[in-house]
Amino acid sequence: MTVHFVNQLDELLLRSVRMGNLVEDMVQEAGEAVFEPGDRLARRVISRDFAVDDEEVKVESEVIRLMALYQPVGPDLRLLCTILKVNNDLERVADCAVNIAERACHLDAAKDLPGAETVRQMDPLVRRMLRDVLQAYSAQDGEAAKKIFTEEEMVDALYAQTVKTIVAEGADSSHEMASLLDMLSVAKNLERIGDFATNIAEDVVFLSTGDIVRHQSPPEES
Amino acid sequence: MTVAPTGNMVKPVLSIKSTNALRQPSDGDNQGATHLSIEDFSVFYREFQAVKNVTMVVPSGRVTAIIGPSGCGKSTLLRAMNRMNDLIPGVRTTGRLCYLGVDIYGRECDPVEVRRRIGMVFQRPNPFPKSIFRNIAWAPRINGYRGDISNLVEHALRQAALWDEVKDKLDQSALALSGGQQQRLCIARAIAMQPDVLLMDEPCSALDPIATSHIEDLIDELKKQYTVVLVTHNMQQAARVSDRTAFMYMGELIEIDETRTIFTKPKKQQTEDYITGRFG
Repeated sequence: MTVHFVNQLDELLLRSVRMGNLVEDMVQEAGEAVFEPGDRLARRVISRDFAVDDEEVKVESEVIRLMALYQPVGPDLRLLCTILKVNNDLERVADCAVNIAERACHLDAAKDLPGAETVRQMDPLVRRMLRDVLQAYSAQDGEAAKKIFTEEEMVDALYAQTVKTIVAEGADSSHEMASLLDMLSVAKNLERIGDFATNIAEDVVFLSTGDIVRHQSPPEES
Repeated sequence: MTVAPTGNMVKPVLSIKSTNALRQPSDGDNQGATHLSIEDFSVFYREFQAVKNVTMVVPSGRVTAIIGPSGCGKSTLLRAMNRMNDLIPGVRTTGRLCYLGVDIYGRECDPVEVRRRIGMVFQRPNPFPKSIFRNIAWAPRINGYRGDISNLVEHALRQAALWDEVKDKLDQSALALSGGQQQRLCIARAIAMQPDVLLMDEPCSALDPIATSHIEDLIDELKKQYTVVLVTHNMQQAARVSDRTAFMYMGELIEIDETRTIFTKPKKQQTEDYITGRFG
């Protein structure tokens, strides 16, 4: 019975990581869609959201089934709790990617907009955070996950800079207000993806150590 | 609701401690105090060492569960806590097992008095083939209880959450009760002796889930007034009812900690392997 349970746990983690990879692809394509002419990539991102939603429900059902049937404890319980929370966060990351893609459909000349430069910096940073945290999640490596925390601060700083730029330059620019708001929305959704990546990192730390590290000041670097 | 019985047993002196000092931990507001203190304690069945140099404390007013695979020594350790192993030929102990600071294996210590203060409930319900009333009243009577025996019986049955089910048939045979009721009767019988500590050796293993649920609820109530030590094979039960959990393996105490810690992030790999079923 135990071997059977462990196999099912492994399969579920793998399934969750695959869902993460799908979401990662969506975020990458959504970021590229902002600065690419046309809406081909953006439409592709939007269409993939159904698959993520469907997978989220299936993973959640499987977590509940395993909890009900096996009443796991210790690291098994931590893993199932983590999968459940990561599952929810990944679905919301996918929603952010869809939001970005929807904005991208209206942004044909994004590269000239105020704030575009910092958004271009945020995009690869957020993608790297997501990639790294999914690798840490797959390896159940809390130490690797902790490295995400400092990157979130960089994303927040870039987002703040983006807002400042749009406010400062937007009023005097020749661009339409709608385009400026679209760019602001793109930045906001990238910043939220960074937040979700950080949430996942916190969950991976819990998975690895059993310690809940949410809502704590980041450890001071020596 | 009955008032707590006020009659006194005729109590032999356990040791140099006064009776008042010994009874102090049952007052209910002493959580965290140490009731049983076990230091480098071993139990031998002739040459075989069943319990190996165990050191742990049992805090007052809390439920301590002992878990571990068959043959790990958990029942032997539990039975050692009120000298139940004394009657087994070839058993000897080393180290100290102290009840309120008094070594219960000390020369001047009366094992009968130890068992009165540290009561025990066994795996299988074992009521006497007598009426429900006499099952409860018998031991206090032969120990010279001087109060209102009916009040004592009612109080014990109420504390064991059995009164409402048996109050109209106290003269009927205890053997006519269901398994779960019989086990609660045995708990009432132990309570009637006004112990400080209740030892429970897999008290639910012979019971169905509903009776088990009754006993688990009862344990939760009992800890307000008694210190409970519970041996169980059922890890979910240990997780549900205990405040602290000790894990034993091959006679050794591997780990003891708060139950929530043992079942979420145990410190020792052996504990983790056992609770997750990856053992052996």
